[in-house]
Amino acid sequence: MKAPLPVVRILRVKAILLPLLAAAILAGLSWGSGGGGPEALFRALVGLPVDDPVLADIFWKIRLPRVLLAALTGAVLALGGLVFQALLRNPLAEPYILGISGGAAIGAILGILAGLPRYPWGSLASFAGALGTVGLLVLFASWKTALGKDALLLSGVMINAFCGAVILFLISVTSDVRLFNILSWLMGDLSLAAMEQVALLAAVTAACATGLFFLSHGMNLLLLGPDAARSLGVPLEALRWALLILTSLMVGVSVSLCGLLGFVGLVMPHLLRLLFGPDHRVLVPACVLAGASYMILCDLLARVLPRQGEMPVGVVTALIGAPAFIVLLRRAAR
Amino acid sequence: MSLRRHGGLAAWILIVIVLGGILGREAAAAEKRLLFDQLGRRLEVPAEPRRVVALAESVTEIVFAVGRGDRLVGTTRFADHPPEALRIPRVGTYIQLDIERIAALRPDLCIGTRDGNPRAAVERLEALGIPVYVTHPMGLASMIASVREIGGLLGAVAKAEEVAGDLERRIARVAAHARAQGRRPRVFFQIGVDPVVSAGRGTFLHELIEAAGGENAAGEAEGYPQYGPEHLLRLAPEVVVITTMTQGADFEAVRRSWQRFPRIPAVRDGRVHVVDAAVFNRPAPRLVDGLEQLARLVHPEIAAP
Repeated sequence: MKAPLPVVRILRVKAILLPLLAAAILAGLSWGSGGGGPEALFRALVGLPVDDPVLADIFWKIRLPRVLLAALTGAVLALGGLVFQALLRNPLAEPYILGISGGAAIGAILGILAGLPRYPWGSLASFAGALGTVGLLVLFASWKTALGKDALLLSGVMINAFCGAVILFLISVTSDVRLFNILSWLMGDLSLAAMEQVALLAAVTAACATGLFFLSHGMNLLLLGPDAARSLGVPLEALRWALLILTSLMVGVSVSLCGLLGFVGLVMPHLLRLLFGPDHRVLVPACVLAGASYMILCDLLARVLPRQGEMPVGVVTALIGAPAFIVLLRRAAR
Repeated sequence: MSLRRHGGLAAWILIVIVLGGILGREAAAAEKRLLFDQLGRRLEVPAEPRRVVALAESVTEIVFAVGRGDRLVGTTRFADHPPEALRIPRVGTYIQLDIERIAALRPDLCIGTRDGNPRAAVERLEALGIPVYVTHPMGLASMIASVREIGGLLGAVAKAEEVAGDLERRIARVAAHARAQGRRPRVFFQIGVDPVVSAGRGTFLHELIEAAGGENAAGEAEGYPQYGPEHLLRLAPEVVVITTMTQGADFEAVRRSWQRFPRIPAVRDGRVHVVDAAVFNRPAPRLVDGLEQLARLVHPEIAAP
């Protein structure tokens, strides 16, 4: 029953998106408040002497971890959106919709209030929060309620709303500089990226993305509806759990390291579906590459646009993402 | 023969001088000191730092106070005192530091503050090989300790001692005046406009109110408590001091809003004052200006100290 892997189409997508990713990485390394530019980066890359020896540190020790962390987060969030849209059969689903972000935010805020350093303890607290909400979700969704197929989605939305209330409560009782730390986490911030975080997220992403690629044919069948999928011999429950757990794991780690970066998981899968068609075996690698490039460029804008300082990258992804989504809707409708 | 010998000797002397000069310079450049910052963290700093980045406005003010403002190559966005500080390049805000820009300035020392600078930012700078001395001023005494520490770091021990001694004498004079009064009026210090926020125990402002001879009306709370109108009536402060900490607010309107409650003693006696936040919100030498100003408001009956 398994259709042959569309190797040619996958290679074509890679041929288009890999150069894009490479260009985004080079651009992300080139510009920033510490100076540099493409020429200095080129000299540093090929081992020529650079006028300013500090630039080497800026390129490799400050910008490289930041660019890589942005790439990994972008890949995770785009992939998360793709999976949840198939899993919930809802075009509005995104990685945060089931309350993963809310739980992670509560964990992160409690960590900040307790004065824990952001990495690794703050990230662990936030990851524990994300896992906690996924656990609740699994519990609620396993109750056989009258809500039927939307039970998972509805309980996720409610968990998220409840988490939002808890977050507002925690903010209202905080009044010193920690308030700023909380807000900066909630808006998504990559400015303090370090290599240990990159290594951790890279390992988790590689494992989960590979797993999802093997499940991508299953995602195609899920879209046909549960009855059709079951009649084609798909082990429906097992597939759903595998998708939910793999995605929650990588999104939870990403959110705990980078904070909340909205709309990436919504815009990227829809855009790529318009470009490359609905086959998930093509869309999984496409989401990884395009999501990574998109987030690197958003982070570059966040660094370069403000005249002084930086803005949180989450602000950029949302400012671009929401209007872009509307435009995509119009094109899809036509 | 003798000429040749002398020529050889001269050449030797020349070589020794040149070598000595080179080695001496290298020794001076490599000269480091091991010390502990105010958090007790061990760090290695240059014996004579030349390129310093101040990671907070208060640190900038202290560096200028000990006469080493010319060593600053970077400071934070709102550093506006003394006016010379406005010309120094900016490296973000003290809460959101721009690590890249700091690195590009090639500092040999950064001086930060525990209250505000994110720990992760300090760690990132240290990973780049830039030593970060972290101050931890929690009150008047530790602010003065920071003055002495920063003076020691920047080779300005005598000047720092002079500044610190002067600050201590002024604080002692205010304390003596306050003791002579005996009565301690209840002071409500308003730092937030909407909602009304005050400073409770464990804050700078609490210590300032006490040192000025007042009793902090918000002293039963800790940190920065919020107050509703009912609570303000209950507190019944005898003096209200409003700082201009919220940017863009209309402080005369805030002062008038207190007039709604003529039963509050401070309102009845016309003792609601607006003061400039600049001298109250940074743990720097100007805090003592704030203390003196506060003492005059709390005890107007005494001659200005």
